[in-house]
Amino acid sequence: MEFWGIELYYWIIFLPIAGGLLGFIINRLRTELNFLAFVGTLYFAIKIFLKTRGEPISDSLASIGGINFRFFLDNLTGFILLFVAISALLIWFYSLKAMSKRPRERAFYLYLTVTLAAANAVVVAGNLIFLFVFWNLLVFSLYGMLQIAKGNNDSSHAARKAITIIGVADYALMLGIVILLVMVGNVDFPVADKITLTNPWLITSYILIMIGVLAKLGTMPFHTWIPESAKVVPASTLAFIPGSIDKLLGVYLLLRVSFFIFDISSSMPLRILLMVIGAASIVFMSAAALVQKDAQRVLAFSTVSQAGYMVLGIGTGMPIAIAGALFHMLNNVLYKSILFMSVGSVENRTRTSNMNALGGLGPKMPITFFSFVIAVLAISGVPPFNGFYSKWMIYQGIIEMSNQIPLWFIFLICAMFGSVLTLAYSLKLLHAIFLGQRPKALNKVREARFVMVVPSLIFALACVVFGIFADLIPLKLFVLPSLPFKIETIGFWSPGLATILIIVGIIIGLIIFLIGTVSNPKRSRVFVGGEVLDEDEARVTGADFYSSVRTLGMLNKTYLFGEGGAFDIYNHLQGLARGFAFISKNVINRIIVAAYHSIGKLVQATGALTSVLHTGELYNYVGWIFLGGAILMLLLAL
Amino acid sequence: MIGFDFFLDRFGIFLSALFIFIGLMSFIYALATLKKKGHRLEFYITLILIVTSGVGVALSYNLLLIFILWEISTFALWRAIGFYRQKESLNAASFSFIINFMAASIMLIGIIMLFIENGTFNISEIQSFDMVAVVLITIGILTKSVTMPLHVWLVPAYKAIPSAMGGCFAGIAENLGVILFLRLLANGNFIAPQFFYIIAWIAITSSVLMGGAALLSNKLRNLLAYSTVSQIGFILLGFAVGGTYGLVGGMIYILAHALAKSGLFFGVGIIEEMTGKDDLNSLPCVLKASPTLGVLMALLAGSIVGFFPMVGFFAKLMVVIGTVTVSGYLGVGAIVAAVFTLLYNWRFYHELFFAKALTRSTKVKRPSYIALAVVFILALASLLFGIFFYQPFNYLTAGGGF
Repeated sequence: MEFWGIELYYWIIFLPIAGGLLGFIINRLRTELNFLAFVGTLYFAIKIFLKTRGEPISDSLASIGGINFRFFLDNLTGFILLFVAISALLIWFYSLKAMSKRPRERAFYLYLTVTLAAANAVVVAGNLIFLFVFWNLLVFSLYGMLQIAKGNNDSSHAARKAITIIGVADYALMLGIVILLVMVGNVDFPVADKITLTNPWLITSYILIMIGVLAKLGTMPFHTWIPESAKVVPASTLAFIPGSIDKLLGVYLLLRVSFFIFDISSSMPLRILLMVIGAASIVFMSAAALVQKDAQRVLAFSTVSQAGYMVLGIGTGMPIAIAGALFHMLNNVLYKSILFMSVGSVENRTRTSNMNALGGLGPKMPITFFSFVIAVLAISGVPPFNGFYSKWMIYQGIIEMSNQIPLWFIFLICAMFGSVLTLAYSLKLLHAIFLGQRPKALNKVREARFVMVVPSLIFALACVVFGIFADLIPLKLFVLPSLPFKIETIGFWSPGLATILIIVGIIIGLIIFLIGTVSNPKRSRVFVGGEVLDEDEARVTGADFYSSVRTLGMLNKTYLFGEGGAFDIYNHLQGLARGFAFISKNVINRIIVAAYHSIGKLVQATGALTSVLHTGELYNYVGWIFLGGAILMLLLAL
Repeated sequence: MIGFDFFLDRFGIFLSALFIFIGLMSFIYALATLKKKGHRLEFYITLILIVTSGVGVALSYNLLLIFILWEISTFALWRAIGFYRQKESLNAASFSFIINFMAASIMLIGIIMLFIENGTFNISEIQSFDMVAVVLITIGILTKSVTMPLHVWLVPAYKAIPSAMGGCFAGIAENLGVILFLRLLANGNFIAPQFFYIIAWIAITSSVLMGGAALLSNKLRNLLAYSTVSQIGFILLGFAVGGTYGLVGGMIYILAHALAKSGLFFGVGIIEEMTGKDDLNSLPCVLKASPTLGVLMALLAGSIVGFFPMVGFFAKLMVVIGTVTVSGYLGVGAIVAAVFTLLYNWRFYHELFFAKALTRSTKVKRPSYIALAVVFILALASLLFGIFFYQPFNYLTAGGGF
């Protein structure tokens, strides 16, 4: 497990940091040093992945104050590390052109490498407190990364929102871990006897940890910083943090906590809570994605809704659905990266991500279009692509729950309905950017640069391969060995046969298309009041595909509230804190200050009173002396 | 009776080193910024008196000696607050002096009661604690270590002091109370645990309420003052809950808070120098004039909030562990206080650096490089202690500590 005498898990933490810092300082060699860092990380990740196939590795670094700072690497670690490294490498490669000559480019790469190192460290840590240390580092790097806006935008508000939401959630996570530490005595994992959730403090601990995890995953109600930042930060940032790293780490910790430390299946209410959060995220966020006008915002809401599938799958507690959730996480990293990067490429060429100004770019950017189509099909769960397979596993898990809870079908309906909505907004994206009529302004657009296309193509290839050979490659190699339990059979769906059938169907469709009249549509010019309309004016954009959804009774109000920020936990938190702060500053503090002043006034009044008595006349003083003497005599006599 | 009982234990040495470091930073900062001729000598004497009293209290084991040093510190605060000789600052100086002096007198009664009971002023020999004496001493402690409801003197004081003195205030003078608390009360099992429970709740209440007040403050100095009250609450909480985590966490919190708060104070001083304004709403954007200051202040604010690479993270973590060990409800209270810390610090930072665009008409002076270097050193120290946090931890826990 050593390389040049240093353990691999040190390499994987310190190599990215060293490469990033040196690259930040020596700007001229930045690309070379970053290349070393990213490729080296991938190399070590592969090494760790291969090593952990056998026995899990655990090693103690130090014990400080009774807390073991130890490493623990098993199959799950290897799997997550591998995909953290792959997505970091490809997104870095993409950013080489996408971010070049942008303001604060140097800082971007520093944050990229620091995020990578922190993510690696989170995954190799074998103790919750040790893990939390690096989990917390991600907040700072996220804040820095979100400060780097695209163009002349101001992303500081989004960054502040992110640091507030994630920071508060991290405090919850910290409290949860500390309660667990105090209750159990240590927070190393995996534990031999999984903790059953019976004690109220243990349940509190689990819920607090879940708050931290769900905020990282970006499910409702902790998602609001993602859509807000989607408007103003570059696609690379979005693809890297909310798109890939957050999903990988969130699901990693969710699995670790739910199945390696606690035993989530011992508590049905908590499972139902997770499922409700997941289902709500899926439906509401897909619905929100439908009506967005900015491509990056659609994708941001889509990220949140996809995270809902993962939480829903893990919440069921059924092995098949948990495998499905892990698989879905992997798939989400693949296709969501493609989508973000493609939108970023389009924006790089057209200078906009507003769908009203886009359209018809398919012929101009064929390779981007190709990978985008594959990602759209995968995310909408069209067989035989990978998204279908993982969603199907989650559905199956929910169906298996039918004998445990009465209302299981609601979750199933939510998940399936969410899938329909996903298809709807993905098609809208596809149409609005790549199909339809092209505005004249975009006639000179060229295909994105080679560097920006290659990562998308690699991910697209993975989407296809992981879908068609789901059993052979991703499930067998990555997903199933990572789980703490054995899954015997998943033989309900044969991707190979389905693929053949689908290909046959496509061929038949093509034949019909070619011999039919579909290929010869009727063309005519458009008139309004006798005037021939310009092509641009008559253009129908895809941005308003589903605007009519908003006019439907109840939904209208819901969308309005949503846009007004009524579902934004950040606003509620700030409002609550400010209301409380108002009381403490303007009432309690004022009362205390007033009390001080009244004491001062009292002292002054006493002084005034005694100064009146001291008139300076001898007779008065003699009178006082006699009065005092008399009182003294009286007291002595008594 | 008035033995000069000094005791060089690890806690004391740790604190003395910290205080001298903060004093040195204030000194360098003052050299760079305090340019006006006049009674500068008084400033340096005050500075030395504050550092001396801090080191003395940290190392002393005699109650009477502590009281004398305590009064020296009060005197020095009085001169420091009234340094600019304006009407408001003189008023604030007398106000702080009277309150501190009153509280110290009340504390003296408690100390004498302990002396009569035990026949000694030596802390290590005092074994019997009368509850009335403890309450009287606690009043003195809470006043010096600005805890609600005895914090009132700090806000006008912060408004009046030269910014070079701010580091000494936050880093040294306000820690005297919690140090006495640690030395006298939290050391040993002579006092009923209910007392510490109540003190812990007072600390949390103070921290939460003053965090709220900081969230709504617009004046930079007020915000720092309320923030100090809220952070000292955390230190007091750590000492009140006790245990290794509580005590060592409280000590590291003193370190974190001293470094970060003096850095922030110096940073605010630089900003006031640059812009001539002290209101969050009327400040022009300083980020473009000095991005370095922006990064440094982010690190320092992050240290107070408790983000990882900064030392504040481990301080907060240890205090929370110590707190939860005593009671889960206290832990929840501590986290609420921490949430307020995050909210007000990030509002402060955001409004300071990102809320306004730099317009051409605003004239912003260049910051003094030496002053900036001082802030840099403090931020770097916070960062290094954060990464190598086990060094202070091991140092404090080795050899049984105190």
